Order: sequence, then C-alpha cells, then structure tokens
Amino acid sequence: MTLSEKLKLYRISQSEYAMITDLLDREPQGVEWAIFSALWSEHCSYKSSKVHLKKLYSQSPRVLQSFGENAGIVDLGEGEKVAFKMESHNHPSFIEPYQGAATGVGGILRDIFTMGARPIALANYLCFGEPTADRMQELVDGVVRGISGYGNCVGVPNITGQTNFDKSYNGNILVNAMAVGLFTKDDPICLSKAKGVGNHVVYVGAKTGRDGVHGASMASESFDENSESKRPTVQIGDPFFEKLLIESCLEVMKKDLVVAIQDMGAAGLTSSSFEMAEKGGVGLTLRLDQVPLRDPSMTPEDILLSESQERMLLVCEPEKLETLVEVFERWGLDAVSIGEVIKEPVVKLYFKGELLTEIDPKLVVDHAPQYKRPYREWSLKNDSSQFSSESFKTPFNNKELIDILSDYRVGSKEWIYRQYDQRVGSSTMRDCSSPVGAVVLPSNRVLGVVLGCRPHIMRQDAYLGGLDSIFYPALELASKGFEPLAVTDCLNFGNPEKEEVMTEFVASLSGMNSACEALQAPIISGNVSFYNETLDQGVTPTPSTGLIGLKEKVENTPTSDFENEGDVILLVNLGSGFSSGYLSEIRGQQSQYIFNESFSSLAEKFKKMISLVSSGNIISSRVVGSFGLSNVLSKMCLKNSIGAKIDCEQDPWLEPFYQVVITVSSIEADRLAKEFNQADMKTLKIGEVGGDTLRWKNLNLPVSSIKESYVHSWSKSFPQLS
Amino acid sequence: MKKVGILRFPGTNCDRDIWKSVELKNQKPSWLWYQDHFNPKDFDAFVLPGGFSYGDYLRSGALAALSPAMESLREANQKGFPIFGICNGFQILCEAGLLPGVLMRNKEGRFIDQWVDLKLRNQSLWSPVKINQVFRMPMAHADGRFYIQDQDYKKIQDNGQIWLTYENNPNGSVGDIAGIMNEKRNVVGMMPHPDRALFDWMGSDDGLEFFDWNLS
Repeated sequence: MTLSEKLKLYRISQSEYAMITDLLDREPQGVEWAIFSALWSEHCSYKSSKVHLKKLYSQSPRVLQSFGENAGIVDLGEGEKVAFKMESHNHPSFIEPYQGAATGVGGILRDIFTMGARPIALANYLCFGEPTADRMQELVDGVVRGISGYGNCVGVPNITGQTNFDKSYNGNILVNAMAVGLFTKDDPICLSKAKGVGNHVVYVGAKTGRDGVHGASMASESFDENSESKRPTVQIGDPFFEKLLIESCLEVMKKDLVVAIQDMGAAGLTSSSFEMAEKGGVGLTLRLDQVPLRDPSMTPEDILLSESQERMLLVCEPEKLETLVEVFERWGLDAVSIGEVIKEPVVKLYFKGELLTEIDPKLVVDHAPQYKRPYREWSLKNDSSQFSSESFKTPFNNKELIDILSDYRVGSKEWIYRQYDQRVGSSTMRDCSSPVGAVVLPSNRVLGVVLGCRPHIMRQDAYLGGLDSIFYPALELASKGFEPLAVTDCLNFGNPEKEEVMTEFVASLSGMNSACEALQAPIISGNVSFYNETLDQGVTPTPSTGLIGLKEKVENTPTSDFENEGDVILLVNLGSGFSSGYLSEIRGQQSQYIFNESFSSLAEKFKKMISLVSSGNIISSRVVGSFGLSNVLSKMCLKNSIGAKIDCEQDPWLEPFYQVVITVSSIEADRLAKEFNQADMKTLKIGEVGGDTLRWKNLNLPVSSIKESYVHSWSKSFPQLS
Repeated sequence: MKKVGILRFPGTNCDRDIWKSVELKNQKPSWLWYQDHFNPKDFDAFVLPGGFSYGDYLRSGALAALSPAMESLREANQKGFPIFGICNGFQILCEAGLLPGVLMRNKEGRFIDQWVDLKLRNQSLWSPVKINQVFRMPMAHADGRFYIQDQDYKKIQDNGQIWLTYENNPNGSVGDIAGIMNEKRNVVGMMPHPDRALFDWMGSDDGLEFFDWNLS
C-alpha cells in the first residue's frame, strides 16, 4: 500500500501524518495507524471544537463532575446526585436506522452507569426530513423501533422528547439520546482514571466482533452516494446484555471491587484503554489475544477498533479479582483479565506474545490536533428595528388553523412515544405527552427533564437560536415550578471546514453560553457531531440541549391543559421580543424577529415564575411556542375536550420571546395577575375556559375538529406508519 | 407481616417496582433468583414482575419458564400459594402452563404504552374483590394479545377464570381479556401494570389494591 492509499484508508491528513511522525520520531507502524486514525478522528478528539468548548460556562457549586468524564454530575442535596449526558448517533442511524438508534440509546446509558449511577430516564431529540423524501418513512420507522426496542428492554423510562421535520434533514437525520442516572445516598461515584501499579485490567461484557470497526472515523465524514457501503461500520446492539451489564456493574461498584471503569464506546478498546491510562498518568500492558472474541480469526487491528456493544473496561485490585469475576458470572457475563497497570506511562499492546507497539498515551490522547477553523464574527441576520407586526399579516380563521394543526410538523407525535415505555421504574410523574418529563425521586422531590433547540429559530439566526436553545426549555421547566440546574448538549452541525458552518457553530455556542451564565445553569456534558452533510448539503445547525430541573414537592405542579369550566386564562409576558416564526417560514414570507431583552432580567423573571408557580394556585401552564398563541391554546383544549373564549389583541401566529399561558380559578385570577405584574411580568386576562369550541376573533372551531386535525396529522403524512 | 417472594430472571426490569409496591402495603419483600430453588413455606405469596426475561428473543417468557426457580414455584402452586404474574410475569406463567392461553404480538405489531381501564370480572382467591369495579392503570407491552382456542375460551369463561377485561381492547386480545386465573383461583396473571398506578401523581392509585392481599 502506498502512503497516500494508507492516509486515505485511515482518514489521516498529510499534516496530521507529519505530526504523528514528529511525535513518534519515526513512521507509524502496524496497529499504530489504526490507533491514531481512531483517536484523532473528529468524533474522538473534538479537534475542530475543543478550542471553543474550553470557554463554556461549566461550573457551579452544585457541579460535582463536569466535562472530562463519561458524564456530568450534579448534587441535588439530601444525599441525591444525578449524572446525565446527551449524545448523537446520527450517521449510523441514517445508514441503518434500527441498529443506529438502538445503539445510540445503549451507548448513552453506558456513559451513565459506568459512573455508578442507575439510569432512571431517557429522552430523545430527533430531526427527520420531509415525509416524502427518499427512505424517510423507513428511517422514521426504524429509528423509533430502535429506540423502543432497546430502551424498553433495558427498563429505563423514556419520559420526554422532541421531533422536528425539515428538508435540511432529508439526507442527514439527527438522532440524539439523553440519559439521566441517579446516585442515592451510599452509591459511589466511579471515574475512569486508571491507577495502582499491578492492578488487573479487566474486560467485561459481550464478546468482541467485527461490527463497528472504523465507526468513529465513519462518523467523522460527510456522506456521498455510497453511504450504503458503510453499513458494516454500524454496531449491533443487544439490550438484554445491556440490562445484565447495568445490574452487574452497579453491583461490583457498590461492593467496592472497582478502581476505575470506562465503557468501550467509539473506537472501542483503543479509546477506553488509552484514555484510562492517560487520565491516570500510568501505563498499561494489554494482551489482545485474551479478549473474548466472536470470531477467532479477528486481527489485532479489528480487536482494537471494534465497536461491539455492551462492553466495559475496568481496573481491579488483584485480591478482589476473584469476587469480581464471580459477580459477573452470576449475571452470565464474561470478565477476563487482559492486562495490568504499569508505572511507566506507555500502553504496550501484545498479541500472542509479540509486542505490537508501545506508545505514550499522552501522544495519542493529549497531543491530538486542535484546529482553529476559520469563522467570522457573528452579525445578526435581521435588522430587528424594522420588525413590525403590521407587516406580518396572515389570515386567522377556522380553515387556517385546521391547516396548521393537521400539518405533520405541528400535529400529535403520539405514534412515536406510545412505542416507548414511559413508566417502567414506577417513578414517572409526567410522561412524553407533557412539555416537561418528570420523575419523582426517592426523597419525594421531583426531577424535571426537558429538551431544547428549535430548528426554525436556528434557521432565522444561529446566535438567537443558541440563546433560545437554553431559555425556551428553561422556561418550560420554570412554568411547572422546576429550577433549571444544569445542561447537556449535542451540537449537530455540517462540515466544520466550511467557514459558514464554523461561524454558525461559534455563534450558537456563544448564545447558549450567555443564556446558561444568566440562568446559572452550567453546561456539564455533551458531544459534538460535525459532518452532518450529504453531497455538500449541510443540516440546519442544531445544538440540541437537555436540561434538568428540580422541584421541592410533588404538589403544585400545573398540568398543561384546560381543566375546569370558568377558569380564567392569563397571558404572562417575560420579555417583549417576537419572531415571525414557523408560519412565516412555511408560508415563504420574510422571516423577522426582535430580541432585545437583557439576559439577567429574563433570568430574574424565570426565578420569580418558579416561586409563584410553586406557591400554588396555578392550575395549568404552557409556554407559547411555535405558531404562537393559536397553537398553544388549541393544544390546551385537547386532553379534557374543553374549549375557551379568547379576547386578545396579539397576532395569533406571532412567536414571543417569551410568554406563558396559565389558567387559574376565577376567584384567584385578580390576585394572581397582580402578583405576576408586581414581579415585573406584565400579565393580561385573555379569556375564559369553557364550552366545546375555541372562539377568538374570526375563529369558532369545535374542539372535536381541533382534536381530529391534530391526531390525524400523522397518518396523513406517514400512511405506512399508522 | 406477610412475606412476599419476588422472582428475578435475567432481563426482569420491574423487580424494584414490585418491591416498592409490596412495601407500600406493609409486606416484606425478598428476592428469589431464577437459578436457585426455594422453599415455598418460607413465604406467603409470590410475584413474577414485568420485563424482558432472556431478552424475549425466543417467545416471551418461554426460557424463563424452564428455570430452577420455576420448579419451586410449581410446588408452591400445588400447595395453593397465591402467585401473581404481571406483564412478562404473566407471559412466563402461561409458558409454564400455570395459566391457560398464550400471549402473542399486539394486533398492530408494535409496542404500546398507554392508559387502560380494566373491569374486574371474577374474584380470585385474594383481592381485589368488587366485581365490575373499574381500575385505571398503564399497560406497556409488545406481546400482550391474549389468545386461547375457542373450546378453551368457553371453558375459562364457564369456570369464571376470566379475571380482568379491557374496557377498550388495545391489543386484539380474545374476549378483551387483560388478566386470567387458574381453576383453583390461586394463580393470577395480568398484562397491565398495577405497579405503575400507586399514587395520584402517577396518574392513578388504582393499582394499590392489587397488592393488598387478603391472605388468610
């Protein structure tokens, strides 16, 4: 093989090749090619994003673990802590939707329980293309079945999610999965730092096969016409094995049998072993021939790069090895010592007695390239001063509203979430039908989980979209009385080597960061997924976010629906900005927005909202989102089949930054409106709950028609999937 | 305090939920591991929780039905102990022949998680007791379509073995059946999850009554 063929095969650039020969002081040999290829891939090294990620607001007094470990950890007090993280599995899901999505769930769960936390909740952020796009029905079906097949079997409830559709995802769908795990009082936090010279390096879990070889470098490339040929790079998941791995790993950690542990995720054994050694400042010897294999003819390179699922690497003291192996055997899993921790900081790889290589793990992990990809300073796309709702005139009547509610982008996503087990664990208080998912903790407090990032706002302006990816979900939490504590993210972008992509990346990250700082909710874990593009077409920049919030009590959590005839509907204003929103995009009108709120004043109002909601008497609440008041009021009619009469000047389609609709009993209405007004949130009475129609301006629509449009939107666009 | 043995198979995932449910009713739960035999006399009742035993890769519950703990459970049945299977636990009891019929893939071929209303048709040896009482609780399964041949259906109907029926059949079960019992009425199985309807904040606390065993 010539050098240029080799560089192509291992996806290493000329300049990176020069760096490698420089670091090694010689040419790379044998398996070293595979090692550098995997660990220097965008997926593993974050080489295009690291310089920007370092600047993130990532600490607060509650944060026990931020970036640098498998997941972030937040202290909830009362002896409870949570670990959580979100991760993408976009590329594999597009190639092979069922397995791609399933192993996305499996991977994120391992990031959580590898730290010692028991997984208690899952959430999914999905972006698909138009229903008529090539393979889209099959992709939607496969992804949903994959998440359902894996998540349901491992027994972790899926409590919230978001699904978006847009043509920019026609050739690159996004599948982001978030997992949350709980530590109760005596659960230890386990880290991945290898230590203790003479300790065993133990391989645990499923046997190693050829699946997923070169997966990490595949995920670091754009697609072309031949994406199909990449199918063997997708891993195959076994949720039953994962369930056994969860129980056995939590058991050995609780019994103090583990010194360090890391899951074998992207780049498999290579990344876990090199990263564990590098973090601990120690070396390892590994005997690759001891690795349990599905196929004995696998080469050392296959073994190093395999991304077979449901595997862990751990470090264990010699006198505890026997007990450790017993626990795993009881659960029917392999646990084999494949090496030792050594003092000299080198990773020595042996195969059948032959030394294949010895490399200082720092060279591979720490010295990975970091690029300062070119980008421009962000300038706002719209001249906000020209925004006027006058220029934004879209008719509002029965037909227009039915049109929108029966659009697949707006209508019910129940077809998706009813395939997920939302209640295993017996702690779900709010499921996927609610804007905020919630589980009750053993301390009887409530943990809220919500996902953010509205792609149509991202398409308006990446900086604004970044702000909104935090503020909007944080307000959803606040409107139910949850204090937002911390954030995880999944930054899905196109090719970072393109200046416009990098510009949007930097702009949206800076928006997110400013919002997080204002709310004092740090970003403590996440991942970056670049190269979401096919034939030069990139996706909408999509920095999806996952926020967790805490509420002291189960009581006083508003519902999201109209509940009682005669209740008063209040509109609470937290800011004065507006966007012409999703409707202007769908109708091909000029997109406009205005956002001039001070972040600290917004954050202050969020706090007051939390305290007002928690003090009780708010019956239901919903944040006004896409398609404005018309959509949110329609949705509030659905569950209990109650209508409302509305009297409000605001354009029904305008999307505010930010407003919340709340309902309260008529006797409490004046008092509560006054309290909100006094808390600097302008609050108006806009109507009354009741009747079986929604009446507003020219609109007089039976709730039954609203329901029918909303429910049938799915089967209209996905006829094969209903 | 009554002692309740909870069977755990590889892939059981509602075991901790059952533990919680049993404790809520002031009973003493203990784990029973699928590979170990147990002495029925050490307990007052047994529960088989939901989950995906052996991944449900073969027919749901088929492999679990062959494990050593199930041999002890048969012995418990012969002695007339109360035995309660929920979801995968129900599937295992059917596969083990402790309950009649079989659970097949839902009519629409997919996993379904939704709230259902159940009506109590006949009384088992233990609670709940009010015939025609309606209970609201979640179901969550892919293989919950109860099937039984015509002549056997007639038999369980005549014997009063139909325990619970769906008010709105969600999965295509024969006779809307959501739960059944054996002839002696000591073994019961149901697909929906009373263990997920324990408090108002869950959406319903109708499930509590199913753990409130009226044991002599």
